Amino acid sequence: MKTLIKIKPKTYAAGDIVKIDFMAMHPMETGMRKDKDTGALIPANYIDEVKFMFNDTLITKMVIWESLSVNPLMSISFKVPGAGTLKVIAKDNKGQSVESTTPITPKG
Amino acid sequence: MERRSFLKSFGAVAACAVALPHVASAAEEKKSGGPNEMNFETAVAAITGGKALTPSAKVKMEAPEIAENGAVVPVKVTVDSPMSGKDYVKAIHVLASKNGNVRCANIYLTPANGEAFFGTRIKLGGTQDVVAIAEMSDGTFLIAKQNVKVTIGGCG
Repeated sequence: MKTLIKIKPKTYAAGDIVKIDFMAMHPMETGMRKDKDTGALIPANYIDEVKFMFNDTLITKMVIWESLSVNPLMSISFKVPGAGTLKVIAKDNKGQSVESTTPITPKG
Repeated sequence: MERRSFLKSFGAVAACAVALPHVASAAEEKKSGGPNEMNFETAVAAITGGKALTPSAKVKMEAPEIAENGAVVPVKVTVDSPMSGKDYVKAIHVLASKNGNVRCANIYLTPANGEAFFGTRIKLGGTQDVVAIAEMSDGTFLIAKQNVKVTIGGCG
């Protein structure tokens, strides 16, 4: 599972509220779609939990379902307390899990 | 009239909340298997535990009025809150009222967010209301919704 974390805007100071965009490359299968060749149902496969941590403290926990679009985007706000590491842990309903990190480096 | 029928339907939701908690947990167990199914009333009851939902301008939802492609519908929810230790938004729930499984996302926030915001892109099977429920730290629930007309459904 490939992931992408974007902090918007790119430059920010401590105390600023920034947006964190998290995107994961995932099919987000609903379990209702049929294979076009065989006609068999494609089993549900979707990200069901995403955790955002800053310096190992939980900021936001998400419980999500298959209704999110393919390659889902999740965006939250975050008030930058200072420098540190942002970690996002995403897990799907089949137990596949991915951990991605990005440094938080406020300027000024 | 619209507001009245809206409140009435949520009154009904409150009534079944007590009777149906096992339905919610049964649906939860199904999660790992085939398609999940949950209707709007059951999902709301599972979120609020039967408490009242108050329509509020504090909950702002941005979604298109007409979505050409139901597979990718951008939704943004912002809740007006100081996000302080005493007064903050505990959770934002996004529901698609007529999808097979109406639940899209439950976002559990903390004061560290600084602002109660959640943005995503969802699939809609057809024209329906997209609903945002904000769970406040004082235990109240605020709700906002927007109807999205879908030209091509996103669940196929």
